[in-house]
Amino acid sequence: MSGKKEKGKKEDVIEKLETEAHKIFEEFKEYSVAEFFKKNRQMLGFSGKVRSLTTVIHEGVTNSLDACEEARILPNIYVKIEEANNHLKVYMEDNGPGIPKEYVGRALGRMLAGTKFLRFQQSRGQQGIGISGAILFSQITTGKLIHIRSGIGDGKVYECDLAIDVKTNTPKISNFVEYPGNFRGLGISAEYAEVKYDRSEYSPLEYLKATAMANPHAQITFVGPDGERVIFKRSSNVIPKKPTAVKPHPLGITTDDLISYAHHSKERKLSSFLIQNFSRVSEQKVNELKLLCPSINFEKMPRELKWEEAEQLVEAFKKIKWIAPSSEALIPIGEKQIEESLKNLLNPEFISVRERPPKVYRGGVPFLVEVAICYGGRCGRQGKEGPELDIKRFANRAPLLFDAGGCAITEAVKSIDWNRYGLKDIEHMPVTLFVNFVSVFVPYTGAGKTAIASEEEVIDEIRYAIMEVARDLGNYISGKIRDKIREERKKAIMRYIKQISEDISYLSEEGKPGEIEKMLLEIVEKKYKKKLE
Amino acid sequence: MVRGENLEKKEEDKVLPKLKSLGKNLLNEIKSGTSPTLEFLARGLDNVIYDEKNKILVLGNRKEKRVFLSASQAKKFMQTVAVAAKCKKFKEENLHTSIRGLFYQLKFTLGEDIEEDLFEEQTESNQIVEDLEVLLGTKREDLNLSTDRKGVVAGPLIIKDKFAGTTTTIDCTKMGRSGWMIPSDVDNGMEFVKCEADYVLVVEKDALWQRLNEDQFWKKENCILITPKGQASRGCRRLIRKLADMKLPIYGLMDCDAWGWYIYWTIKTGSMNLAYIGSEISTPEIKFIGVTMKDIEKYPFLKKLTIKAKDVDIKRAEEMLSYPWISMHKEWVEELKKVIETKKKLEQDALQGPRLTFVGDYIKEKIENKEFLP
Repeated sequence: MSGKKEKGKKEDVIEKLETEAHKIFEEFKEYSVAEFFKKNRQMLGFSGKVRSLTTVIHEGVTNSLDACEEARILPNIYVKIEEANNHLKVYMEDNGPGIPKEYVGRALGRMLAGTKFLRFQQSRGQQGIGISGAILFSQITTGKLIHIRSGIGDGKVYECDLAIDVKTNTPKISNFVEYPGNFRGLGISAEYAEVKYDRSEYSPLEYLKATAMANPHAQITFVGPDGERVIFKRSSNVIPKKPTAVKPHPLGITTDDLISYAHHSKERKLSSFLIQNFSRVSEQKVNELKLLCPSINFEKMPRELKWEEAEQLVEAFKKIKWIAPSSEALIPIGEKQIEESLKNLLNPEFISVRERPPKVYRGGVPFLVEVAICYGGRCGRQGKEGPELDIKRFANRAPLLFDAGGCAITEAVKSIDWNRYGLKDIEHMPVTLFVNFVSVFVPYTGAGKTAIASEEEVIDEIRYAIMEVARDLGNYISGKIRDKIREERKKAIMRYIKQISEDISYLSEEGKPGEIEKMLLEIVEKKYKKKLE
Repeated sequence: MVRGENLEKKEEDKVLPKLKSLGKNLLNEIKSGTSPTLEFLARGLDNVIYDEKNKILVLGNRKEKRVFLSASQAKKFMQTVAVAAKCKKFKEENLHTSIRGLFYQLKFTLGEDIEEDLFEEQTESNQIVEDLEVLLGTKREDLNLSTDRKGVVAGPLIIKDKFAGTTTTIDCTKMGRSGWMIPSDVDNGMEFVKCEADYVLVVEKDALWQRLNEDQFWKKENCILITPKGQASRGCRRLIRKLADMKLPIYGLMDCDAWGWYIYWTIKTGSMNLAYIGSEISTPEIKFIGVTMKDIEKYPFLKKLTIKAKDVDIKRAEEMLSYPWISMHKEWVEELKKVIETKKKLEQDALQGPRLTFVGDYIKEKIENKEFLP
């Protein structure tokens, strides 16, 4: 571990977090599910009554969006929260592909069933434990069964109750019924205690609104405990590209990653493991590695790779010239989609959107940043003394509601000299700043997926993106001020026209005041015409 | 020496056509689609120059523009036109008012839904009146705007005053102890029928004027006796100018101090504030009889009658020395320097020291000997 200390703090944090995710997996095997959950509850987002409820919604909605995307369906998502027996009952339904009845237990009733864990692709539910976590949370806090309703569009609909056997981590299905019906999709109804519904910036409604912003292809309906119904309408019919799995680039790899991959590999030789599992690694590159690491036997089984050797390899990766990693796997929302979405939801007076070209952080992980700045309309947050800047953070379209203070996006926003763009008072303007961080590997600060770690390259890139749209807004505002001044000047002159027309008519003994007034109006209008944009 | 009858022909009113053509010019600009613009000489003190040929203070060539389409100038533009229109109305109705009366005529709101008056303060309209005088090249008196009257006349001058529908003949020899009070406007409706005087004497103070009037000085000397009662009013200055136009020599008798001399120089060259009508109210022909610092040497009794000059007198004297049109006269430089050196001054009233009638003798002697300052 001696080499690690020299790499700098940030990197250590990331590596620690990655290791943490693996630990979850390991511990998961060792302890019972209940124990695991209790132990890791906070890290999984189930801490705090409001936050826990939002996490429940997040897991469900993410699950639905990912399923629809994979099945190429435009999602309709319905979320209803109601009060029931001192608990809150949450019903979530989508129009996704549904789950075949034989898989329902495995799909929902087992923690980490999705095993997105080791897939190197861009996905919303990349980390964490997914919908089964929410199900387990319900079960632990209320002791009640979860009710499932699903159909795959074959004319049959089934319903059942589901529980997770916490000792064996296996699903238990009961009260299964099947009946004819046209419903396709998945509905999950569950009760929760230790949750609280409110309208704060961490609330389910804010979460859904943010989700709608980053997923303009989704239509989301929300019904609150007070019966309030909010619909976030679909503004785009373009389903996001299907994420493609890409092999990790050697430059984006940590010792810990390398060990994990190697030990799970079925390859027989270390050399072929490297060529098969990583992008841009060829025979020739392996030969270069061999020269750099003469003590490592590249013929041995990958699972026999030792920590020290892995460390040596990672160091060697950094010394070799690689073809840059492919950014093909990055799936941005797209400038047009973001613009339509924000116009749809915020009705802004002004909007500027930027998608920056892909960059890499930590030497090899491709990422890109999309930002939008909108002004006026329903933009900004309603503060005690008027409108306030609202920063909407996203990672791969998933809203980041919590831990704003520790997030690279917040840090980037704070580092900007807004005064430079004539936006000194940005904190008190009706402005919504939208930032989506897109990467196959998001450097979250924790398994709760709530904030992006402060990678230098990431902060820089976010800052540049914001600066671009800030400049646009600054120009718009100063233009607006100019227009306002022009308008005020015009108004000031206009009010004198009647008087002056009468006087000129009287002095010249020619021309009717009305006619002079008309001519003067034309002259003034012409001079103070708004400049064409 | 000119003694004339009907010296002034009834002049046709030149101001009404000026007002009309102002309106026409503006209308033509509007018709051609351009921003109506007024252009006139800048009235700022930095644009006041001494006209060496005519020996008066006049405005220089720097011009100011007032553009209606400029937001910062639009209101003043409108106000200027409004004052012009109002004056045209006064002319047509043949009624006069003061600039305060004009202000009240124009202090009205611009519209039911507009919370703005055409004029809010009289200082605004006063400024505009001056602008209009420059713009039209005409005095406010010609625009039927009257000014405060000050100054009194006695002597062989007969004037026909057509006013308020009647004509009154004024004989300035028959005004008793009070004299004829100089009106605001000595041009319009004023006909100078007869002026048989040999010269005009302007004495600074009313007290001295009364003294000379009691002595029947104007009768004995066949002169016109005027007092501006301190600083000369516009009407008074205009009257002196008109009398000078009749080729009458004009003499001034002021205190021997900076203030008295300043009154003299204002009559002579005009003032910087009124440089825009300089030629109408300045009388460079005027000559200074006294009282001078030199008189103290000539009339020893005066030596005891000097009083201490105040700081303001010294300051004023220094200021006058800085004016090239004054410092070009070495006699005046001497006088002013003496005041600054000795810190003494002499009032014209002191001439009554030896006896009350000495003033008359003093004046006669000075005029006979042509003992003047320029």
